[in-house]
Amino acid sequence: MKCKKVQRLLPLMAGDELPRPKAFKLRTHLHRCPVCRREYEKYVLLVQQTRKWLAEDRVDWEKREWPQALKEVIREKESRRPSMVPWPFPKGWAFALMVGVVLLITALVVRPPFLEKIGIKPMSTDSAKVEALKAVKEGEQQEVVSMTMVSKETGLKIVWFFNKNFDLEERH
Amino acid sequence: MWMKDEDTLIEEVLQGNHSSFEPLLQPYRQGFLTMAYRMTGNMEEAKEVCQEALFKMFRYLGSFKKGRSFKTWAYRIVMNTSFDFLREKKKIEKVLEVQKRSFVFENSDAEKRVWNREIREKIQNVLHILTPKEKAVFLLRDGEGLSVWEASKVLGCSQMSIRTHLSRARQKMRGHFEKKNLFGSNEVET
Repeated sequence: MKCKKVQRLLPLMAGDELPRPKAFKLRTHLHRCPVCRREYEKYVLLVQQTRKWLAEDRVDWEKREWPQALKEVIREKESRRPSMVPWPFPKGWAFALMVGVVLLITALVVRPPFLEKIGIKPMSTDSAKVEALKAVKEGEQQEVVSMTMVSKETGLKIVWFFNKNFDLEERH
Repeated sequence: MWMKDEDTLIEEVLQGNHSSFEPLLQPYRQGFLTMAYRMTGNMEEAKEVCQEALFKMFRYLGSFKKGRSFKTWAYRIVMNTSFDFLREKKKIEKVLEVQKRSFVFENSDAEKRVWNREIREKIQNVLHILTPKEKAVFLLRDGEGLSVWEASKVLGCSQMSIRTHLSRARQKMRGHFEKKNLFGSNEVET
């Protein structure tokens, strides 16, 4: 191992975070390289010092705070009443996707007006128009007027024909 | 006194025996608060973070998988809650300011609480130079004594990433130590 590589690994060597085979190689190098050894000792000192400080300066809850905090947690949970049963769908995204597809299919099948919004007109409207035009063409030129009503919900259509005196005519 | 193991305590809590929640968390109570305090730099905020983390632990205990480490699961919740807290208040860049202000407040209280002001200041100065991720890795490893594997589970990243951040943190701290002459005449303890 070269000094450059060794020195890159020294911060981890000092904290004992290197895998054993690598640590062994490093130790071998340190035995014969005084420069790297000095560096290593500095890192060891740093790790020892910071760990000592962190151990000496730990904070703790005050006597009554800890049980009080736990009590509040339990009380809050009981008031919200969430389930402790684990979520049955470990892959939430797959479940959401499935629900989305089902909703889309439902919307397409059950709600024809939705089709109009995406450019597909329901059959009922088109066929009503064609029949009304056909009726006008077959009639006595301008002397016949027709009025068509189509139910959006059921697609049911009613066509009324009137003569030039606006009298209702019967047609089949 | 015979101590119940964590799995038994978890099972009891899930069955509705809420009094088992306290002994389950007892070994980590100091660690959680210390960790949150060092992440936020303020005692009141640390308690707030811990309270929220405890609530999440209690709420989602049902999703804890048996056979896994409760310690890493619980620390992960504390760490994520700390990060959420900092992110929410857009404090990540301002943490240092907050820490300095909290010092002024807590230093005046230090004698009552028997905390070593000098050491605390040194720690905060060291943490000051680290990024949030480096700080988290450093505190988990050197402060809480978690292994590299445990820290990787807590932070949800690879062991390689933990090593990289830890190495970088120590290099930065080394520079800081030399600059402030903190190595002094100390000898390496063997």
